[in-house]
Amino acid sequence: MFGVSFLSPVFLLGALAAAVPIALHLFRRKTDVVIDFPAMRLLVRAPVQRHHRRRLRELILLALRVAALVLLAVSFARPYLSGTIADVAAPITVVAVDTSFSLSAPGQIDNARAAARRAVDTAPPSHAVALLAFADTATVVVAPTTDRRAVRGAIDRLSAGAGGTRYRTAFGRASEVIGGREGHVVMITDLQQAGWAANDEGGLPDGVTTEVVVVAAPSGNLAVTSAERRDAGVVATVQNYGQAAVRAEVSLMVDGKVLANAAVDVAPLAAVDVRLAADLPRVGAAVVTVDDPSGYRGDNTRYLVIDPPLSIPITVIVADPAERTSGLYVDRALAVAGGGREFAVDVVDGRVLSGWTADELGMRAAIVVVGTRTLDRRGRDLVREYLAGGGQALITLGPDVDPLTLADITGVDLGIVAAPVRAAAGAATMVASDTRHPIFRPFLNQSGALADVPVEQYRRLTNQAARLVLARFSGGDVALAEQAVGQGRLVVFTSDLDNQWSRFPLNPAFVPFAVETARYLSEGRRRAQSSVLPDVPPGVGDRPGVATVGEGAAAHRVAVNVDPRESSPAMTSVDEFMSGITRVSRAALREPMNDARAAEGRQRWWQVGLLVMLAALAGEALVGRRAA
Amino acid sequence: MAGAARYLDPAIVARLGTIDLKVRAIVEGFLTGLHRSPYKGFSVEFAEYRQYLPGDDLGTLDWKIYARSDRYFVKKFEEETNLTCHLLMDVSASMGYGSHGITKLEYGSYLAGALAYLMNRQRDAFGLIAFDEAIVSRLPASARSGHLRATLVALERLTLGSRTNVAKPLHDLAVAIRRRGLVVLISDLLDDSDRVIEELKHFRHQGTDVIVFHVLDPNELTFPFDQAARFRDPETADEVLAVPAAARADYLDRMQALIATYKRELGLAGIDYCLLDTSKPLELGLMSYLMTRRRVL
Repeated sequence: MFGVSFLSPVFLLGALAAAVPIALHLFRRKTDVVIDFPAMRLLVRAPVQRHHRRRLRELILLALRVAALVLLAVSFARPYLSGTIADVAAPITVVAVDTSFSLSAPGQIDNARAAARRAVDTAPPSHAVALLAFADTATVVVAPTTDRRAVRGAIDRLSAGAGGTRYRTAFGRASEVIGGREGHVVMITDLQQAGWAANDEGGLPDGVTTEVVVVAAPSGNLAVTSAERRDAGVVATVQNYGQAAVRAEVSLMVDGKVLANAAVDVAPLAAVDVRLAADLPRVGAAVVTVDDPSGYRGDNTRYLVIDPPLSIPITVIVADPAERTSGLYVDRALAVAGGGREFAVDVVDGRVLSGWTADELGMRAAIVVVGTRTLDRRGRDLVREYLAGGGQALITLGPDVDPLTLADITGVDLGIVAAPVRAAAGAATMVASDTRHPIFRPFLNQSGALADVPVEQYRRLTNQAARLVLARFSGGDVALAEQAVGQGRLVVFTSDLDNQWSRFPLNPAFVPFAVETARYLSEGRRRAQSSVLPDVPPGVGDRPGVATVGEGAAAHRVAVNVDPRESSPAMTSVDEFMSGITRVSRAALREPMNDARAAEGRQRWWQVGLLVMLAALAGEALVGRRAA
Repeated sequence: MAGAARYLDPAIVARLGTIDLKVRAIVEGFLTGLHRSPYKGFSVEFAEYRQYLPGDDLGTLDWKIYARSDRYFVKKFEEETNLTCHLLMDVSASMGYGSHGITKLEYGSYLAGALAYLMNRQRDAFGLIAFDEAIVSRLPASARSGHLRATLVALERLTLGSRTNVAKPLHDLAVAIRRRGLVVLISDLLDDSDRVIEELKHFRHQGTDVIVFHVLDPNELTFPFDQAARFRDPETADEVLAVPAAARADYLDRMQALIATYKRELGLAGIDYCLLDTSKPLELGLMSYLMTRRRVL
């Protein structure tokens, strides 16, 4: 039952080296000095070693030497007990069980387990069996094995999780398990339509047969699909995925205490917002729950963080704070975004910045550079380090900005002509080169909004090779460009935003331009207070709830919820499901050695082999020393 | 043994032609060198004249011949006796051992042949009995002419037998030999020393004089081996793996004890014992014989 297999059987050839001591033993026996000596009778009682004893000792030595060599070869061949690991060439039945939360309705997972057990029991005797559990990800619960009792035991331990359904992920994992051998896949799932929605990749190898066992979905399902704090309470959205109107109780719980309840009537296939009025604490975590005894349990609860929204920290670096207009316009523009709470802007000059630590600057989602005159060496190094580490910056090329200093803090030659260019006819206007860029999103339906921006002077950018031009002035020179610096990103506005060379800050297009630019730059560095499985911040588990991420001043709470797309019990037919399976070439598949490698890695018999080999060598040395 | 250098090396003797020639070379050389020995004139009956050779006793010079021919001749005498000598030759497998160009059997054969030659010169009757664990061949004692030739041929045809059992054939011979005489035992005596001594005493009890030539190879006497080896008994094929460095002292002790036992016990029984090293000249054995013969007569 517990056969031994090898990861690298070619090393077993090394065991042939055992022939060397055997040959030496035999050769030595043949050439052993034999002396006919009539007076041997006087030697018999002498304190010398009898031949038969010596021969026994030699045999022991030979055995130890042969054992050492064989053990060395076997250890290098990486042995493992393959009793629970099937032969890599054996046909295989892969039982893939859907464990997404759409299997969390009463009785569903039990039905899935029963179907899985039947699939194991009815698998051909010659087949190895593997067990997969899939949702967002597919996990090999039991590697290909002939031990079906172990598979049945693992099936009994399956439960519905909080993930969504990803069929192609399951197919891809099944393909890895099957590899190049003959295979049969039994998919045990509720055939939820949402399982195909994800833009995943994965298919089954050619020739692998597929069987679908359908686990019936509940007739209806209620789900809390969203919840957010609004004024004195929480507004939650309850979705009814059933064909009948439902009246359900919705409750709000904060820190373990029920603060509000509400009964809602939800029409078939409709959603309703529920206001749960309560005296909420200033900070904390809340849970909205809908009473849905027959639907999926995983989506009956929605977690939310009731902490004040996290503002996006942005720093405006100016030449001298004494000049009251420096950074003023950017500051004011960002201050109105998101009801005044979206951005937290601080305006500093170079001297203040020099007193910061790298971590303090690193917490900023983006910086805006409108003046460099007071940036000393320390400040320049901080900005350069910030950009190299992934920082985002909007840089203006107004009169307070020194091109050489910019080259210093960015580490690249931006190709700035130091002398400003005075626009022809008094002022130039801007034209977006790529209106689909997120910065220009507010201007999509406002034709000509940027055309009203008057710019008297700007600096010319000569090198366009490494940057993307987002907008140009009416004369053709670059007005707005984007380029990467280190791991960070720069957006360069070639005029100024302090109403010196340009009256852009006074233009109605300025606020949406500043806000969208800030949003664009800070998009990847925002601290979200909610996330949906499986896209959660690093370090957060895969279960719904409220978690704390970050450390120190950057620590904040994040509500983790299930993907509301998984709440819909809408099913596909078996035929549709089968037709959705992508077939992949077996040639592109990896050999299914991972299971064997994993088993070998767990068992580590090679270490035992080497230890025994060392013991054999030690014994050989001991016996050999006595024999000498 | 300073005079031993004058004698023939047994290894050289072994390379001479027939046993007849070998024996003659041994004996003649031996007799030639006896001028300072106490055995001069051992023969009482004139046999022949021989040209004087340096070392011959001047008392044996025939001055009459010198006066006639102006050449020196010595007179040779023969002694007429009725001594019957039995040469007991051990031909067991252990006698086939030899490390210096001559085996113990060859050495013993030459010794026996030389003794027979001497006996023939003295007109003594002699016979040859070969044995291993039993008597394998027997040439009855005789003093007639031509018997020496038959004895030498018999010696030359001796082949190695099997295991040694000195005591048993000695017992059989002690019973068979009733007439008083001389028994010469040539053997390596690698047997139970107590039994061998007991049986030799049996001869003495019957009034038979006995001389024992204990023939051993120098390797047996010195155990000069230095490499570990398997030592095999040629008679039993038993093997012992021995490390000479570790076993030598004990072996030599046992060998010396064995020799001492034979020398002591046989001496007490009035049996002459002569230890012969096959690397040493055979004449030493002849001298022992003559001493014994002189005592017997």
